[in-house]
Order: sequence, then C-alpha cells, then structure tokens
Amino acid sequence: MDIRLEGISHSYGDFEVIRDITLDIPDNKIVCIVGPSGCGKSTLLRFIGGLERPTFGKVLQFGEPPPGCLNPLTYIFQDFALLPWRSVSGNVSLVLEDHGIRGAAAREIIDDVLQRTKLHDFAQALPRQLSGGMKQRVAIARALAVKPAIMLMDEPLSALDSQTRELLMDDLIDLWSRQPFTAVYVTHNLAEAVRLGHSIVVLSRRPGCIAEHIEIDKPLIERHFGDPDLEQYQKHLWQSMREEARAADAELLND
Amino acid sequence: MRIINRLKFISLVGLVLASAAFTTSAMAENTKIKVGALRFTSHSASFIAVERGYFEEAGLDVELKFFQAAQPMAVAIASGDVDYAVTAVSGGLVSLANKGAIKIIGGALSEEAGIDGQKILVSDAAFQSGVKSAKDLDGKSFGITQSGSSFHYMASKIAAAEGVSLKFKPLQKVGAIIGALKSGQIDAWSIVPHIAKPLAGSGSVHIVGNVADYLPNYQVTTVFTSTKNASEKRKQTESFLAAFSKGVDDYAAAMIDKTGGDAGVDEMVDLIHKYVYTDRPREKAAPSIINGTMRINKGAALNIASIEDQLNWFKAEDLVGSESSIDTLVDQSYVEILK
Amino acid sequence: MPSYSMTEEERAVATSQMTGGKHVDFRGGGFAPKPHRWVGLVVFIALVGIAEWGTQSGWISPLTLPKPSDVLQTLKQLYSSGLLFEHLIPSLTRLVVGSALGVSVGISVGVLIGLFSYIRSGLVPLVAALFPIPKIALLPLFVIWFGIDEGSKYALIAFGTFTPTVVATYGSVDNVDRTLIRMGQSFGLSWFSIVRKIVIPGAMPGILSGLRISLAIAIILLVAAEMLGAEYGIGAYILEAGSLYDLERLFAGVMILSVLGVLLSALIGFFERRLLDWRA
Repeated sequence: MDIRLEGISHSYGDFEVIRDITLDIPDNKIVCIVGPSGCGKSTLLRFIGGLERPTFGKVLQFGEPPPGCLNPLTYIFQDFALLPWRSVSGNVSLVLEDHGIRGAAAREIIDDVLQRTKLHDFAQALPRQLSGGMKQRVAIARALAVKPAIMLMDEPLSALDSQTRELLMDDLIDLWSRQPFTAVYVTHNLAEAVRLGHSIVVLSRRPGCIAEHIEIDKPLIERHFGDPDLEQYQKHLWQSMREEARAADAELLND
Repeated sequence: MRIINRLKFISLVGLVLASAAFTTSAMAENTKIKVGALRFTSHSASFIAVERGYFEEAGLDVELKFFQAAQPMAVAIASGDVDYAVTAVSGGLVSLANKGAIKIIGGALSEEAGIDGQKILVSDAAFQSGVKSAKDLDGKSFGITQSGSSFHYMASKIAAAEGVSLKFKPLQKVGAIIGALKSGQIDAWSIVPHIAKPLAGSGSVHIVGNVADYLPNYQVTTVFTSTKNASEKRKQTESFLAAFSKGVDDYAAAMIDKTGGDAGVDEMVDLIHKYVYTDRPREKAAPSIINGTMRINKGAALNIASIEDQLNWFKAEDLVGSESSIDTLVDQSYVEILK
Repeated sequence: MPSYSMTEEERAVATSQMTGGKHVDFRGGGFAPKPHRWVGLVVFIALVGIAEWGTQSGWISPLTLPKPSDVLQTLKQLYSSGLLFEHLIPSLTRLVVGSALGVSVGISVGVLIGLFSYIRSGLVPLVAALFPIPKIALLPLFVIWFGIDEGSKYALIAFGTFTPTVVATYGSVDNVDRTLIRMGQSFGLSWFSIVRKIVIPGAMPGILSGLRISLAIAIILLVAAEMLGAEYGIGAYILEAGSLYDLERLFAGVMILSVLGVLLSALIGFFERRLLDWRA
C-alpha cells in the first residue's frame, strides 16, 4: 500500500504552518521527515494517520493494505503511550481485543511480537518497572501486533538517552531487515534520519515546505554508528538546515 | 441645627446614666435568675408571674430564656445556664437526675377529668381503614419525638391498657410528626388539645380518644431546677415557687374557673399572646390559646403517684438505669405532694 | 584528588591532610513525614487513660464525660444482648444500599460529564448547585417523596454520596492522560473500549479517593437519616442516647461509628492496593 500527499497546506487561522507539500511514501521504505522545530512535521504525521485534517490538499491511499492487517496506519508515540495499569502483554492485547482476537490467537501474536522486540521475558511486567527503552520497545511490539501497512513514528526515540537510542536504532534496523515495513519517521535528530531513512525529507521553517529530498542508497543493514558515508550525508543536511534552524529559533523567541 | 443636636446628645447621655444607675440599684435588691420556657400556653404561669410582677415582688429579677424543645432546656439546667424551668418528665430528665444534676421540685400541667386534656389522633388513612378508637391501633405506627419522651410514655400506657402493640416512629420534632401524620406516613399520635383540635378541624386527622381516660391524674409537666439550687438556695427556690404559684392561680382563675368572665379571659389571652403565637394576629391566636387551656396544679403541687408510674415505666423499658429512684428524681420538701 | 596518579604513600599523605577538614553542615533533614503507627495508638491510649483517671477520681464530673470503662461495659452488654446486631444490620443495610446507589449513579454521571460537552455544560452547574445543600435539610422532603421507612433513608445517603462522587469522577476523567486516549483512537479502538479500558481505569485513583470522602459523608448522613422514623440503627441508638442524656450509650454508639469509619477507610485502602498496584 502506498500513500501520497498531494498539495497539503495548513493554517491555524491566519497562522500558516504548512505550505504545499507533495510527497510519496513508497511501500516497504522508511521515509524520514526532519526540520527545525515548529515546521509542522508532527502535524503532517497526524494528517497521514487521519487524526487531523489539512486545510487544503489531500492524503491518498493507493492499493489495499496487506491481508491480515488490523490497523493500516499505526502510530508510535514519543512518550510511548502505554497503559500503566496493564502489563506488557496486556498493552499489546489491548489493540487486539477490539478485533475479536483473544485467547490462543492473541497469545500467538503477542508471543511473536514480544519475541521480535526481545521482550518475551517481560511479558508480565508493568510499565513502571521498565526502562524508557523497554517501554518504547513495548510500543513498537504493540504497533507490530496489528500488522500495520504503514508505521507513523513521531519522534520515537526523542525521550530516550543517547545510548538507549543507539540500541533501539539497531533494533529497528534489525526488525526491518528481517521483515521490511513501511514507515514515516519524524525526527529532529539528523543522526537518526541518516541511519534509518531510505529517503529523507527536509522541511523548511514555518510555513513548512519541502526544502530538500534526498535518497540514501546504502542498505540499512550496512549502516553503522560512526559510518563516514552517513556522516557525509548528515553534514550536508546540517549545512542546508543550519540557517533555517537558526532563523526558526530566533523566530520562536520573537513570538 | 447643631445646638439641637448637642442638646439631644446631652439629654441622651443623661438618660443612659440615669438608667444605668437605676438598673444597678435594682440589681442590688433582686436576685438575678434565669427561667427557661417554651412558647407554649402550658408555660403561662411563668409569663404571668413576669408580667404581673410576682417575681419582682418576691425579690427575683427574672430573665426568661426561650427554647425550641424541652430536651435542651433540661441540659441547660444541668449546666447551670438556666435556674428553673417547666418541662415534661422524660428519660433525659431522669438520667440527668441520676447524675445528680437536677431535681423536680413541683408539678405543673396535669390531666384532670372534666378539663379538656391531650387527645389521641389518627391519620385520615388509618381512620378510613377502620381505626375509630385506641382499641383499633394494633400494629399501627405511632409518632413520638424520641424514645423516652412523654409521647412514648403515653402511647405505651395506652397500648398496654388496650392490649395492642404499636410501632413507635421517632421523628425528633413535633413539626415532623404533624407532617408525617397529615401525609399518612404514620398512623397515630397524641398531643395537647390546642394542637389536636385545629388539626382535626382540617379533616386530615381524626380525634379518637382522650389521654386522660388512660392516664388519670397524669402529671404531664413538672417544675425543676438544678440539685444545687434545690439544696443550697432554699430561700430563692421557695420565692420562685411562691411567685410561680401566683401565676398559676391567676391562670386557673381566669381560664378555667373564669372568675373574671369573658373580660378576664380576654385580658389573660392578651398577656399570653405576648409570648405565645406571637407570629399570628391576636384574633387568630386567641382560639388556640383558649383551646390550650389545661389544669396547672395549684401551688405547683406534685402528683407523686404519676411521677412514680412514669419512673417505673422508664426503668421497665430500660431507658434509664435501674438505680433510679423517686428520691434522686424529686425533692419533695418544697410543694404539696398529691398521693 | 585525582588518586589514579598517586602512589600509596602520596594518597596516605593526602588523606591525613584531609582529616583536618571541617564537616560540611548537613541541612537536608525534615520535610519528609514518615508514618509511625504506634504513636497514634499511644496518643489514643493516653487520652482514654486520662479520661478514665479523671472520671474515677471525680476530677471530671459524670455530666462531662462517661467513664471509658463504663462505655466498654455498655458495648459488651450491647453485644451480649444481641442488640448490637439489631442496630448494626439495619444501619449497614442503609449504608450499603444508599451509598451503592449514590456512588454508582455518581460515577456514571461523572464519566458522562467528563466525556460529553453538552452533558458537562448542562450538569456541572446543577451539581455545583446541589453540592452545598445540607442534605439533612431535605430529609422531611425525602420522607414525603420516598416514604418514612427505608426509602427516605436510602435516598438521603444516596443523594449525599452522589454529589462528591460526581465531582471527584469528572475531575479525574479530565485528568486522564490525553495521549492515552489519542493512542486508543489511533489503534481504532471503539468509543466504548476507550471508555472502559482507558478512561475509567485512568480515572480510578481519583474516583477511589473521592470514594473515601463519599463514604465518610455516608456515615455522617446515616445518623441524620435515622433521625426520622427509625426504631433500630446505630444512628437511632445514638440519638436515643442523646435524648436520654445517657453518655455511656452515646459514646458507645459514637465508637461504633468511628470503628465503621476506620473499617471503610481500610476497605478502600485494600481496593486501592488491589486496583492501583500499577502506581509506583
């Protein structure tokens, strides 16, 4: 299933946040959206997921979601959004219950996703007992459980410390390599973008429009911490963003 | 303008000084006491003694303290906030006597054959379903203020005499009982005639008997004081009883024996109306005051047999301790004791 | 002292030089109350002891306070005569039925207020208007509406527990983490599932602490409810003792209510531990 954004513009009253964005999200690829704060990247993600409606333009879906898909457009949130009163497996089963998947069928799916996110030993743990990285893995497991056509990841690693972030990036690459998925990955962190993105979209400062769109051909599995090729890309992205980021920062202060 | 104001001011100061001097001299002469009362006609003797100066003549400077119910009045006597009061014998009164706090020193309201006394009332619903007399009350609910109240005593005695059993409903206040009786929430009640008759007149309740038929010579209310007053302030207590008795005599003469004829009744109604039913115009208050006429014992004599019967009933019902005796309850040295 | 570059000897010298140093003043104490269970018990025993000694010696008059030992005796008699349960069972029934009604309707209305703007706009002012009414004042009205028997007593307790429960419930529904609801929506959970699995469990801590207040109010109102037309019941027993000026029975009754309050509080504590074990 592919998604196309066509001429998306959005404003809150007179306040224009996004201007004329057209973008394709190809199957089984990870598209990273980066940009200075306030450029509307999270808003864009909410349009894709149908949690908000743009003022102009449309979000189009081509093709049908793969068979067995319970929730085609599935979010992963920055703050994990786990129910604190449910165990790890309970949090995963939450999203299955509404689809009538219970008992053995549910257990099979839960076991599978916990296995894939290396959480099988913590199935009965409560969120408060988990570290931030583990919590986000639970959220990823929960997202995998509904077999999404597209994962919408809203700064998923931003609440974590840098070591945990590295570990989770490895985990995500691992996951994708074993079973490719489609994802839109919003972040302000360029290192994450160049590690995880098949293509990277740079938004300008408000009103956000596409300033640059690069493809990185190097396979995910070959990208590593401190990779000089990636450094190159990162440097290039930073050069083009730098002035925008500074202007955005000053603008926010003046507001 | 200014001169007049100044003159006014000076005369005002003079007046205040004069009155202050007057009150201090009066206080030196008279013993200051507080008398508790309810705004009921049954408390008329105290009102008359105040209005006609009998207390003053006896050397007592009386301040009337008004209460909403008998119960707090008994507690006020025990705490020493009030010196003398008139109220029904209740379990609370006996308990306070047991604790050595208060003593009955005389009698007031009595049931007497030939004088309109307390009535037995039933709700319209109960009346329509066939309750035409106290005999038909078996299994019916009977309104009382509280356990151990005079209503409870009366109802128990009536039930025992008729061999019926009643369900007692404590409703705390007379007003609540009236409401419950009118709306048929309870079946029966007993109350003084000046409340009973207007209720029956409205048709929502019916009078089915007289309490006096079951409890002849029932000593309904008594005069009581603190044990301290009774034992240590004999002269003051005697003075109070003497002045109170004069009020009783005036009341009986005007309202029961009608020695002053209609004019005497009118005069007495005017006096009582200053204290009772003050929220109603005189012409509306007068029938209630006249209807409320009951015998108040001459010389505050006490019907000791009735008191003993009440005490025994409280004991039998386990409402007061079994150690209660007539001697802890009553100081018989003050008034004539009717056997 | 970067000790990795020092020899043993140098380190010993450095340490000996440091022994002459002054301790940094500790200033982080206090402001952290810890529970000491036994202190409460000691205070209680001391108060009862003073009361017993005072009444025995005549220093406290029997009009002021009954002897604690007599109160205990009264309680024993109440138990051995079987009267305790004759009073306790009707009271507990009233408490359970009344507060179950008030709390369940209160939680439902509170959740509805928390979720729907029209219901919120319509009912919040109404609840605010009902909250400060002394429910006791309405007792005579309830007697007319619901009858002098159990109906009016249930109604009084139900009404009294309803308003605090509503306020606690919609307040805690408002405080449920919106990102959790957003998450539920993003996974396509039905409205009913979101309410049942996210909103209500999320509001549960607030609802339970509201319940503590509601149930204490229920006990207060129990006595008021038994003012009108109750022959049996702890409240009726206390009122009767008051009117008889029987302080032993009065205190015995009050003690039963206190124990009831402590037990209810413990019960809620138990539920809190069971239902809210997910909190740190």
